[in-house]
Amino acid sequence: MTEPEPTTTKMGRPVFEVEGASVTYDMDRGVSRVLDDATIDIFEEEILGVVGESGSGKSMFASSLLNAVPPPGTLDGEIRYHRDGEVIDLLGLSPEQLRRVRWEDVAMVFQGAQSSFNPTISIRRHFEETLEAHEYDIENGLEHARQLLADLYLDPERVLGSYPHELSGGMQQRALIALSLVLEPDVLVMDEPTAALDLLMQRSILSLLENVKEKYELTVVFITHDLPLVAGLADRLAVMYSFKFVEIGRAEDVFSNPKHPYTRALLNAIPNLDTPRSRMHPIEGSAPDPVNVPTGCSYHPRCPLADEQCEAAEPPLAETTDKHHAACYYWEEAMEEIELSIESDEPAVDDTVVGRQSDEPVVSVDAVDVHFEQGGGGLFGFFSDPDTVHAVDDANLEIYENDVVALVGESGCGKTTLGKAIIAAQRPTNGTVRYRGQDIWGTRDGRVDGEIPWEQIRRSLQMIHQDPGSSLNSHRKIKSSLEDPLRRWHPNMDPGDREERILGMLEYTGMSPPTDYALRYPHQLSGGEKQRVALIRALLMNPDVILADEAVSALDVSLRLEMMDLMLELQDAFDTSYVFISHNLSNARYFAGNADGRIGVMYLGELVELGPVDEVIDEPLHPYTKVLKWATDDMELSDRIEDPPIRGIDIPDPVNPPAGCRFHTRCPEARTVCREESPSLDEAVSAHPTACFREYPMEHPYWDSEPVDDAEETVTGDPIDAG
Amino acid sequence: MFLNDWLITPLRVIWDDWRARVGGIIILLYVLMGTIGVVLISEPRPGDGPRLIRPFQDWAHPLGTDINGNDLFAQTVHATPPMLEMIVAGAVFTTALAMVVGTLSGYKGGIVDRLLMTFTDILLTIPGLPLVIVLALVLDPRQPWVVGVILTINAWAGLARAIRSQVLTIREEAYIEAARLMGISTWRILLKDITPSLMPYVLVNFVNAARTVVFASVALYFLGILPDTFLNWGVMMNYAYSVGGALYTSGTAHWLFVPLMTIVVLSFGLILFAQGTDRVFNPRVRARHASQDDLEPGEDDMSGEVATQIRG
Repeated sequence: MTEPEPTTTKMGRPVFEVEGASVTYDMDRGVSRVLDDATIDIFEEEILGVVGESGSGKSMFASSLLNAVPPPGTLDGEIRYHRDGEVIDLLGLSPEQLRRVRWEDVAMVFQGAQSSFNPTISIRRHFEETLEAHEYDIENGLEHARQLLADLYLDPERVLGSYPHELSGGMQQRALIALSLVLEPDVLVMDEPTAALDLLMQRSILSLLENVKEKYELTVVFITHDLPLVAGLADRLAVMYSFKFVEIGRAEDVFSNPKHPYTRALLNAIPNLDTPRSRMHPIEGSAPDPVNVPTGCSYHPRCPLADEQCEAAEPPLAETTDKHHAACYYWEEAMEEIELSIESDEPAVDDTVVGRQSDEPVVSVDAVDVHFEQGGGGLFGFFSDPDTVHAVDDANLEIYENDVVALVGESGCGKTTLGKAIIAAQRPTNGTVRYRGQDIWGTRDGRVDGEIPWEQIRRSLQMIHQDPGSSLNSHRKIKSSLEDPLRRWHPNMDPGDREERILGMLEYTGMSPPTDYALRYPHQLSGGEKQRVALIRALLMNPDVILADEAVSALDVSLRLEMMDLMLELQDAFDTSYVFISHNLSNARYFAGNADGRIGVMYLGELVELGPVDEVIDEPLHPYTKVLKWATDDMELSDRIEDPPIRGIDIPDPVNPPAGCRFHTRCPEARTVCREESPSLDEAVSAHPTACFREYPMEHPYWDSEPVDDAEETVTGDPIDAG
Repeated sequence: MFLNDWLITPLRVIWDDWRARVGGIIILLYVLMGTIGVVLISEPRPGDGPRLIRPFQDWAHPLGTDINGNDLFAQTVHATPPMLEMIVAGAVFTTALAMVVGTLSGYKGGIVDRLLMTFTDILLTIPGLPLVIVLALVLDPRQPWVVGVILTINAWAGLARAIRSQVLTIREEAYIEAARLMGISTWRILLKDITPSLMPYVLVNFVNAARTVVFASVALYFLGILPDTFLNWGVMMNYAYSVGGALYTSGTAHWLFVPLMTIVVLSFGLILFAQGTDRVFNPRVRARHASQDDLEPGEDDMSGEVATQIRG
């Protein structure tokens, strides 16, 4: 294998030389190779993006760079680290020497800041302990820490004095980056540092990261499953599939001109806002098992170009064109045959599955509020008033038959709570939820004597949860879990018929042989398969409405389209409606768009915009929807990530929402009237309901009032956390 | 199918773990002693043999005799059935009550939770030993199973609280909400969806309760608080101490040691068994054993931790 020579001006000398690094685990059923012969150089002051789906070995690559492979795994090969002209063999160091290299030379930021901080000690203590452990001067170190925190747009004193739980997820993640940089390392390895955050926050952190990298002359290895996310940030991209690097090259080459069939298919499988929906295609098949990697090219079972040569011998990672390496025999053919959806010439035919939508709503939500009480209670609860969290305020929504409504918003905006109120899983504090015109909770409490019994309502409203790991009982076989709905609602059904029905559904959703799958436990299924079982379980109830709560977010990028296609296909067969909850506008666009549905945008417990998919995506009216679109719109390479069209990144506290329009604290268009008056959805004269004064009739006082003065609103001179 | 799921697979899993194997054999020996042993070995009578024979001297009396010439082995064997009855009654009473109260209170929440937990807390605050002594003196229990229940009369309260706290986390799992939305009845959810996750914990506590009964009964019989109605290892020790002066006379020491060792070995067996059997409730282990005959390569047999690390 050849490696790119460091010739260009941007690429300086290498900091890391990784040669043939492999990580293996000995297991009962054979040797599991979770990093296979990785060879790559990492150059000074570059940002290297390592991209791969879950189980592709990208986290193992990150651990290898610190020689920190979790036991009992063994790491072979050669990893050389260059420190000021001195070459260090990382695998030959003593534990003490290794401890010095870690954090002082190479630092790592993990996913999920919440679990990286100790909740019982303050942020300041975390910095002090790190400095003490490495015998650094505490005073100077803390001074440096303050500088770093300020560079990450945090208020240093406030953050240092806080405990981890007092910071929001995005602030924690930034504090963690500062903590990893306090010992002034040369290399920063980041393993999915933003995966747990909202898109808006991810974007903001990336733009900060670029500044910090320039200022402190860092080399960054950024590991992620999200190719478009790093495309604008990284200098070079390395794509991993099945524990190997399959493509390495300059970011713009890999992103706009990928040469490996896998990279091309992956790009086509990622939902986005610009590509016509008909041109997005899932990747067939699934990623290989670490013990049974296919012979030859490990991608051949899924590759449309594969032939005997691919099955027989593994293609080397070879230079194709200038500095662009791909492990494929047919990269030239791949570039011609696998058309990238973004540059396709074929006319966009967006065929939508238009269901027979009814005139009468199945479920209607009328002026519903959901409030939760926080704190209070207990022995001393008498003396303190509990805080009220306004999860949902004054929501109005109607769901028809064969309808799809996607609810979109940042985490904590109340979209899940509203969804649960729709399917009667959450009792509203005020307002009514009706099922075919009959008050649901009145029926439940026996106050309303309607024609439809409570049991009928209950079975008609079902749910699919977000986390495939928790949606099935791990102690029960698939068949046993799927029997529950049938036993409950068809108690007289013959066991043979019951089994046949379950096997039929398993087969239909592509899990064959069904008799084999029926007898498995959930841990023997992949995440996508578990979600399909959860979908079958909900459908066996024959429901009218299914709430899909982030049902595809936990799945691999290449599986999301497949799952959404399956859900839409089954909608046709079962005549159900979906309420689809997502924080990702592109997923919402794909799902709701293909069923001619609507998108509802939520902010701090309120619906701020509701309309047909194409209208909301192509011409968003509410300023918040525009921000969401900005955060999602990433299928293009820009040299620099621009600043967000929003004032302040963190959402205000839902315990104490801002008066007037709730978005006014962050809204770029806010005027003084927005602080006092609250716009409502139905008074707008726009194409579809939008809760913004800008869409009101022209005589509204908004147009005469003064723009909000930024200086007055910004609290600490800290633009990101204002509000 | 049914047999395979409920008998063969669990037995295979148990047999695969040495602790469960040893513990199981020990428990089986005691059960055999209490059933077949009672038939094979005649009841001990005074004057069966010479007085105070040391163990392993005379093979007619393998464990020796006491001061009246009673055969110690026969005494131990004939004390087993009432002891086992007492142990099972006490352990079943504690765990069953704790399971019902704990799961119901944790799953239902609200007023049900408050009522049940208030009651539990009241029981928790009553000191256990004095209560048992008072009850034993007032009720003067003569059946072994009544003794078992009295001994554990408030032992279930702590377990119920612990189970409730576990249920509080389990009920937040998505599959529980899904079951609730499907209209599955509370009892079925408790039985099918909540109990299996609690089983390893409950099993260890079942065995602990069994050991509590053994120790408490022996102690109370030794102290003479429980009526001297049936042959009992505690009563044997009481006599060895009060009549034989076994603590300071080397000639009668074995009289004390034989029942003592009987109790220690049983307790040891119970602990080993409990440690080994929590694997029965691990679906990963079950799946591997169920498909042992036709092990397919796709079968997942990584230990959970390694699997998470690799996939994470």
